[in-house]
Amino acid sequence: MSEPVLSISGLTRAFGGLVAVDNVSYELPGGDLRAIIGPNGAGKTTLFNLISGMLDADRGTIKFRGQDISAKPPHAISQMGIARTLQIKSVFEGLSVYDNLWISAHARTQRLSPFRAASSYLDTSRIVEEALEEIGISRFRDEKAGNLSYGDIALLEIAIALCMKPNLLLLDEPVAGMSPEETETVVTKIKQLSKQLDIVLIEHDMSVVFGIADVVTVMNNGAILCEGPPDEITRDERVQEAYLGVPEDGES
Amino acid sequence: MRLLNFKKLSSLDLVGVGLLIFLLLVPYVVPVVLNDFWVNIIAELMIWSLFAASVNLLFGYTGLLSFGQALYFGMGAYGVAFGFEYFDLSFWPAFLLGVSLGTLFAAFAGIFAVRLTWHYFAIITVVFSLIFYFLAVGTKELTGGDDGLPISVPPVLKFGQFELSLFDLTFQYYFIMVIVGLAFYMKWRVLESPLGRAFVAIRENDKRASLIGLNAYKIRYLSFVLSGLLASLSGVLFCLFSRYATAQNLFWTVSGEGVVWMIVGGAGTLFGPAVGAALLIVLREELSMYWEHYLLIVGVIVIVVVTFAPHGIMGLIKDLLGSRNSKLTGSDNGELLEKQGGTGNE
Repeated sequence: MSEPVLSISGLTRAFGGLVAVDNVSYELPGGDLRAIIGPNGAGKTTLFNLISGMLDADRGTIKFRGQDISAKPPHAISQMGIARTLQIKSVFEGLSVYDNLWISAHARTQRLSPFRAASSYLDTSRIVEEALEEIGISRFRDEKAGNLSYGDIALLEIAIALCMKPNLLLLDEPVAGMSPEETETVVTKIKQLSKQLDIVLIEHDMSVVFGIADVVTVMNNGAILCEGPPDEITRDERVQEAYLGVPEDGES
Repeated sequence: MRLLNFKKLSSLDLVGVGLLIFLLLVPYVVPVVLNDFWVNIIAELMIWSLFAASVNLLFGYTGLLSFGQALYFGMGAYGVAFGFEYFDLSFWPAFLLGVSLGTLFAAFAGIFAVRLTWHYFAIITVVFSLIFYFLAVGTKELTGGDDGLPISVPPVLKFGQFELSLFDLTFQYYFIMVIVGLAFYMKWRVLESPLGRAFVAIRENDKRASLIGLNAYKIRYLSFVLSGLLASLSGVLFCLFSRYATAQNLFWTVSGEGVVWMIVGGAGTLFGPAVGAALLIVLREELSMYWEHYLLIVGVIVIVVVTFAPHGIMGLIKDLLGSRNSKLTGSDNGELLEKQGGTGNE
């Protein structure tokens, strides 16, 4: 139990001359809801890409529950129990909502048998039904995912992640493009979920972040600027500088 | 299994049942209405349908466009021919040798091919098939090259005086029908299984698929080998049917025809490729008697279908019969969705 959920040390990744993630060390002890904020280009999404295996690090290690996952491919990392949503929403657009969730629920928990009818796996269909209910997208179950509105696709993507029964959920801008009502639903949902599993979210909507996160990490220029409870972060001068630029009297 | 309830059958199911009854009656009805020659054409059609189905499994369901399925088709044919001519095997061992040889080639080529996707995949598959085409042409003493290696087919079954042989055209027809039917059944079962769902997930979005824990390489490889198995099986049947194996079977035009049949019939539908193969082969048989440039007409048909019915004839038929869920009408890949309908038929 003392093992942290996620433990990152000295993580570096450069694209050409641009160091997107610069010697980042980050620890997720588990049990609380964390957020990563920072201006555009701060390296937040790159950090998620490194954790989920979509990018390889130049240097540094990532440990998930004590196991080194730095060199593992995305599917192996997903199999270990890290689920993520993407900034540019990514679902199986040609499949129905139900089928999107079905394959997601099945891929991690069961074997891909070629001999048994997919419809005969009651455990898998139960997980799917629960996720449809929990995220509130049951009315779309037979609709093709590609026909959904942007906000509903984002909800579907969260449902996909839930169907994987992950231990760690990485949410990349989960409420971007959502209506205020949808945002409220999702925020409530994330808060509930954080009691069952560890969640790290990247978000630009500050009211969301400061409303639900227990600990906020601020990134700027590929490095971690500071970390702390929301009220502490709002008062931090460095954070204000990163977002708003250096105060006028400080400029030369 | 519940009993068939005719009220629940859609109009498309009824067309299918009608076609099945027709196929069962062909050896008795067709010679009366047309002539004997058409029984053989329909038997050949079924073999090519199976070949097109192998292209479809890769492209229609897994999203990999292969221009090299002729390799596994041709190797299946050579396997069975070598079995008879060089190893003196009886019917079934040679049959198995053919299927295994073709599938082994797919298992080997797949290791390299499925590392790539899209045009790179198309290129590597055609290159593999060309290598072995030229090899087969070059080793004429063994393979017969372009002239082909004639075979004498031993009886399929023999009990004392009683024997079943492919020389009996009615028996040959039913033999081909049963093997092709079993292969389609196997393909359907796989597509309805979790593995089949994984194929489609990879086709739809391989990035998302890897993020839910699917190993895209492994799943594409399985699809490739399975598709190779279907192609080999059709090659074995074609060799038995035409009584010879030839290097021409390995040529890329054979692969290309499979792709065209699939696209015209409807990629990603179970029977679309069979419809495409049937239509274009019948056209070929009819038109080639009157006009040597009949391929021009075939070309026009392909262009018209691709432009106006991007989901092929099967997609068009489903639209016309209104068997689609009304909510899904007009959606791309509606027929795929229907196939993948989570709860299946029940």
